[in-house]
Amino acid sequence: MEKISMRDAFFDELYKIAKKDKDVILISADMGAPSLDKYRADLKDQFINVGIAEQSMATLATGLALNGKKVYTYAIMTFVIARCWELIRCDFSLMKLPITSVGVGAGFSYDDSGPTHHSTDDITLSRVLPNMTIFNASDSAMAANLAELSYNNNNPCYVRLDRALQPLIYSEKDDYSTGINHLKKGKDITLIATGNMVHRAMEVAEKLSASGIETGVVDLFRIKPLNESVLKEILINSNKVATLEEHFLIGGLGSAVGEFILDSNLNTPLKRFGIKDKFYYAYGGRDNILSLCGLSIDTITKEITQWLGK
Amino acid sequence: MNPSINNIEEFQKKCQELREKVLQMCIKAGTGHVTSSFSCVEILAALYYTGILKYDPANPKWEDRDRFILSKGQASPLLYVLLADLGFCPKDSLNKFCCSDGLFGVHLQNDVPGVEMTAGSLGHGLGVGAGIALSSKMNNKSYKVFCVLGDGECYEGSIWESAMFVSHYNLTNLITIVDRNALCVTDYTEKIVHLDPLEEKFKSFGLNAISINGHSYDELMDTLDKAMNSDKPTIIIANTIKGKGIPFMENKPLWHGLAPQGEDAERAIKELTGKGE
Repeated sequence: MEKISMRDAFFDELYKIAKKDKDVILISADMGAPSLDKYRADLKDQFINVGIAEQSMATLATGLALNGKKVYTYAIMTFVIARCWELIRCDFSLMKLPITSVGVGAGFSYDDSGPTHHSTDDITLSRVLPNMTIFNASDSAMAANLAELSYNNNNPCYVRLDRALQPLIYSEKDDYSTGINHLKKGKDITLIATGNMVHRAMEVAEKLSASGIETGVVDLFRIKPLNESVLKEILINSNKVATLEEHFLIGGLGSAVGEFILDSNLNTPLKRFGIKDKFYYAYGGRDNILSLCGLSIDTITKEITQWLGK
Repeated sequence: MNPSINNIEEFQKKCQELREKVLQMCIKAGTGHVTSSFSCVEILAALYYTGILKYDPANPKWEDRDRFILSKGQASPLLYVLLADLGFCPKDSLNKFCCSDGLFGVHLQNDVPGVEMTAGSLGHGLGVGAGIALSSKMNNKSYKVFCVLGDGECYEGSIWESAMFVSHYNLTNLITIVDRNALCVTDYTEKIVHLDPLEEKFKSFGLNAISINGHSYDELMDTLDKAMNSDKPTIIIANTIKGKGIPFMENKPLWHGLAPQGEDAERAIKELTGKGE
């Protein structure tokens, strides 16, 4: 599993599901994947490529879903939601249809392709839609399971997959039903992260621990709906919390956690790490762009250390 | 037993009845797109009252029903009046149009029996119809899908994305009708951005495009029959008059989205029915 990309892990599982259920239809807006070659060959009646036409993809998915199909739409992440957002709003969300939008390219996955391909606002766009379930995979084992989770969800879903090969945190047998995983406990601060930043959070936790700061790490992979009872428990039992996301600060994970703290009348101090209100035309790879927006391991470690007054 | 009108006199009488009910409902509620509804009365009447559409009001989700997509969701008053008349929903639900205890409002919602798609935004219906038509073929079903678009709606790029798809997948079980009343909200379409030559545009996208008089019983029946037996997906450009039936409201941009009130309401009733209120 560690050598398989999230995308291939997801579609390998979806293939198995679709082979048993002829009502599973996958629509692509001219986006491929090695794992899709088999799907297209064996299940050609369950695969449609609409071309670079996301609005066509969304309305087609709606019609198919209204007629009992379980539909998946697939495109590069910046386009799968944003390009056809209004159609997703009025069709998938408003009519509560069992359609899962699958995007590849979370955060700066497409690094040197530039900001047109940086998916750093889609959590905001999808979170605001009623009835939407949002999953953000942190490794390929989880990504594989999201195929089943989304298949069994009768609401509109959004699955975010990273483009890069990420180290494995989970196994296929892990329980993903809670939407949140307390990976590591630490009494001084808890880092709540999602997607790619879960791995960064683990590295930051290691550095902080080396300086005597006991750091917990939480993987919040179901961004909507939040698992409020588990999250509340984590927040109540944390001295301080920092959220980490490879996403704009406006409306993303940190906003979701912050809103929850306020709405639940909690006192947990919160510091949010994410991308400030700016696009990045920068090259030299993902880590370089992350550094420029203040999300390098060293910068996060330093700011947290200062915040804790250590 | 569903109605099966087969002569022009009865058809025109039904259309008149539908117009009167739409007007009455919207005047009472003080809202509703009267003129948008009036331009497509003959189109919807042809589908629902002459035996073209297969449906069962007692079983709105009957699997083998024909599907009707009203993509120009602002004509919802007409569809609601028609569905109440046919027995899909209680007739007195029309008295509660836009009321707090009512079933429905200005635009279209798909939890009303007989309504396939929530609509109000524009540009969705052709693609949704394509999805239903495609799934029908996937399931080896023989029901048809009818979709009514507004002509202003054809400004939306999504319509053209879907038109390409419909043509490529040769969805002959999808029959689309454009209510070509040549008006948008603010002005006439040809003064805003040319939609014409609309028939040629759809033809160039690979569709079987035909222009007719959208208020003519004979032309509607003849063309719909040909469309249902065509070997290419058909789109009928039905030339209509926005607000047809109330001369002082006909073909006037300012009447978009409004229900006449006060003296205008009295005048509208008089012009439509030939009688006072």
